Amino acid sequence: MPVGSPRPCDGGACFLLILAAACCMVAACSGRPALAEDVTVEWTIRPRPPVAGTAALAELTLRDRARRPVRGARLQVEGHMAHPGMAPLVATAAERGDGVYQILLRFTMRGNWILLVTGKLPDGRRIDHRIDVNATGPAG
Amino acid sequence: MDAGSIIESMSMPPARQADVLRWPVIGAFLRWRHARTSLQLVVLLITATLVAHGLFGSQIGPRNLATVVTWVHYRGLLVIALLAAGNLFCTGCPFVLVRDVGRRVRQPWLRWPHRLRTKWIGILLFVSVLFIYELFDLWALPRGTALLVLAYFGAALSVDLVFAGATFCKYLCPIGQFNFVASTVSPLALQVRQPETCRTCRTFDCIKGRPETNQRGCELGLFLPAKIGSLDCTFCLDCVQACPHDNVALAVGVPGAELLDLRRRSGIGRLTERWDVATLTVLFAFGGLLNAFAMTAPVLDLERWLARVMGSTSEAPVLAVLFVVALGAVPLAALGGAAAVTRHLTRPTSYSVGQIAVRYACALVPFGFGVWLAHYGFHLLTGGLTIIPVAQSAIIEVVGWAALGAPMWQWTGMQPGAVFPIQLGFILLGSIGSLALSYLISERDYPDRPVFAAAPWLGVVLVLAAAAVWILSQPMEMRGLGLSG
Repeated sequence: MPVGSPRPCDGGACFLLILAAACCMVAACSGRPALAEDVTVEWTIRPRPPVAGTAALAELTLRDRARRPVRGARLQVEGHMAHPGMAPLVATAAERGDGVYQILLRFTMRGNWILLVTGKLPDGRRIDHRIDVNATGPAG
Repeated sequence: MDAGSIIESMSMPPARQADVLRWPVIGAFLRWRHARTSLQLVVLLITATLVAHGLFGSQIGPRNLATVVTWVHYRGLLVIALLAAGNLFCTGCPFVLVRDVGRRVRQPWLRWPHRLRTKWIGILLFVSVLFIYELFDLWALPRGTALLVLAYFGAALSVDLVFAGATFCKYLCPIGQFNFVASTVSPLALQVRQPETCRTCRTFDCIKGRPETNQRGCELGLFLPAKIGSLDCTFCLDCVQACPHDNVALAVGVPGAELLDLRRRSGIGRLTERWDVATLTVLFAFGGLLNAFAMTAPVLDLERWLARVMGSTSEAPVLAVLFVVALGAVPLAALGGAAAVTRHLTRPTSYSVGQIAVRYACALVPFGFGVWLAHYGFHLLTGGLTIIPVAQSAIIEVVGWAALGAPMWQWTGMQPGAVFPIQLGFILLGSIGSLALSYLISERDYPDRPVFAAAPWLGVVLVLAAAAVWILSQPMEMRGLGLSG
């Protein structure tokens, strides 16, 4: 036996359409520059692991498929904590020659950090690379 | 006993003075027939956007709307709304809106079984969500967060398309159980304006609804003349719309006062006889502590130590042990111990240790609320503005260029150090509330020896407050990779 009473729900169907539209919008293709898939990013950081509250030097080395250094890239690093809502680090890399780029970072908190290396190569293609780093607490 | 005799037999309190429903603008909006649907539509639109971004956007938690809005903004605004007004997020619940759409297609045909009309399943789900959140580091998983939101939609829809009323909200929804407990310390409650009007009412539209206008009554089984406080109230405003006498008020009251009320309340019964509700309130308080503790550096050290001792390389068993201790052993020891001492100090007494624990359990709600507020408030205050660069970043993902400008990642919020005193204030206020409730319960139950009866409970609250302050003062360690991190 049916129980309960129906209730008019204005605009329900309309919002299902909006939901679908939102999904389509987010999934839509974008016209961003091509990703330089043949370029590898190798990295080191000192000290390793980095210590929260003190400076750490990250060094990125860009090489093409033939292992030749990639020069002239403009690189930026965004450092995000794993938890949303924390203050990110933003730094620009300085080129040191032979495809080597350095960035000075100061991790503000212990824990897992995601470093996003983004930038452009001289040929217009983009670099998009993720590095996971765990920052520890100060000794003692 | 029919509804009329219930009204005749009960002693309804006089309506409190301030009635938000009579206020200009806000009151007019809340009394508008489509007020709830409007709020739900707005929340549904926001939810749809963040679910879409969670599923298809960047899978880096701090750059995705699903994780940022859900774990920073939604939770923070939820507790602030509960503190400032009441259960507004249940009012705007989009799960119920989708369920209502579903019910236009298919009506439920069953009633929730009587023996399941308790909070036990809801408690299990509440703890499960806390556990899953910690185990999978959901805050760092946009797709996982989006799937969790979709799971809520699916669960609400599938349960309520089979079972009548607000079965999912009242008995199952983990967020709902959290909101119900927290709303007992909110300042606003829906209640009868003029008790005399209810005494002459014979139609009981507030609970039965008005089929001629397709207006439903309270789906949670709260008969307004016998409703006390906000426990189990979703603020759906159906009673406001259903009452033909315009006799419902959104009244201002003393936060937490309903927790002292011994009367039988509609749809719930007496709080002192509800072990499930008492358990929920205890888990609400200790769950708040555990959830905050899990964000600190010491908990990771503890987890790693436990993993070594247990010889485990997986986080699940280690976390399970932590949960069993923090949400089982410690509360049992604390409440059982305090109840035993109270019983000893108030001999001869007519209450068992268990009954004493149930009677005092609700005193922990203000403290628990303070902990949740301190924790969620911290994330909102320190990270509230991150929604701007994250939205900018999302737009770049969608359209391929910076239509809203380059992400301003420097926009975050207050410095954590500046928020710490505010957090301490929340803990202090919550603790004062729990201390006061403990004493008032003692005065109620042991009028001859209230100080002796209250002493162990005051001790429990003070120890919990000290633990909360210690947790908040610990360095945070935001993990996103489990034990390996």
